Amino acid sequence: MKIGYAAILVAATTVLEANVADARPVSYPGGTTVMQKNNGFYSSIHAHYSPTFQDSIGLYSERNWAEDWHFTGLQYNRLVKRWNEKGSQANLYFKGGIGQADAFGEGGVDFASFAGVAADWETRRWFTSYEARAYDLGFDQTVRHAARIGVAPYIGDFGDLHTWLMLQVENQPESETPTTLTPLVRFFYDVQLVEIGYTPETERFMANWIVRF
Amino acid sequence: MKNTSLILAAAAAIAFASPVAVAQTEPADMAQMDTTMLTVNVKGMVCDFCARAVTKVFRKNDAVENVHVDLDNGEIHVGLKPGASLTDDEVESLVKKSGYAMVSVEREVS
Repeated sequence: MKIGYAAILVAATTVLEANVADARPVSYPGGTTVMQKNNGFYSSIHAHYSPTFQDSIGLYSERNWAEDWHFTGLQYNRLVKRWNEKGSQANLYFKGGIGQADAFGEGGVDFASFAGVAADWETRRWFTSYEARAYDLGFDQTVRHAARIGVAPYIGDFGDLHTWLMLQVENQPESETPTTLTPLVRFFYDVQLVEIGYTPETERFMANWIVRF
Repeated sequence: MKNTSLILAAAAAIAFASPVAVAQTEPADMAQMDTTMLTVNVKGMVCDFCARAVTKVFRKNDAVENVHVDLDNGEIHVGLKPGASLTDDEVESLVKKSGYAMVSVEREVS
């Protein structure tokens, strides 16, 4: 019975901890967002509050099995620039975090930080995004890139179920499989966004979830 | 003493009667007030999160009765409360606060 509870706990942790490299990291004034991602090699959870549409601050935790480290700390996101056009929107973001990291309990806990930039461009039919993030974990330094392209097979109006077909390429130089390609499907309904994908190179599933309220 | 009691009774009657009188006249006054519907044309509003942001921000304004977002046409339809008003600058400020850019605003008074 204890093993059953442990398995449920591990599964829940895996699903809840995730890293989102492609969702908008700011919300509307007063909005709260919880976002998680898991691709089998790293997982993270980020919960943040937006006092304005340009800023958000919250907690970030990432567990990286590909590089054997765990980070927990505060994250600040800044919408540096938004280009609003008729039928499209583009954004440039800065992300930064400070906290602590450990190599899965080995060598103690070190002060850690990260910084990143992200950009996206979106119409109601097309979507592209890119993010680069660099970590200084104290005992190690690492960098990661991710880019996406997506298309909506149909155009839904506000309140409809929105569906996106996407392709993500990700580069994590220090992992066993540095570059991966992940086809995924995104479902977006009401305040929730769910993504399911599969990475053939690593034979791992991707499962992401975002709720904004 | 008797006069004092009469005065108090009269005052109480007036005090309790007044709200009833106001309550009876209020709906008639409200019905006579103009209702304004705004159609706000916006740039950059391309997804449900965008629409939700706009809806949340506009609904927090005291003058706003209801909000509907038309993503197909990039429009926000805002119904104001009877007798309430929003200037173009105030509407633009709400759109900016939501994170988007206003192109134009049209008004329909009924």
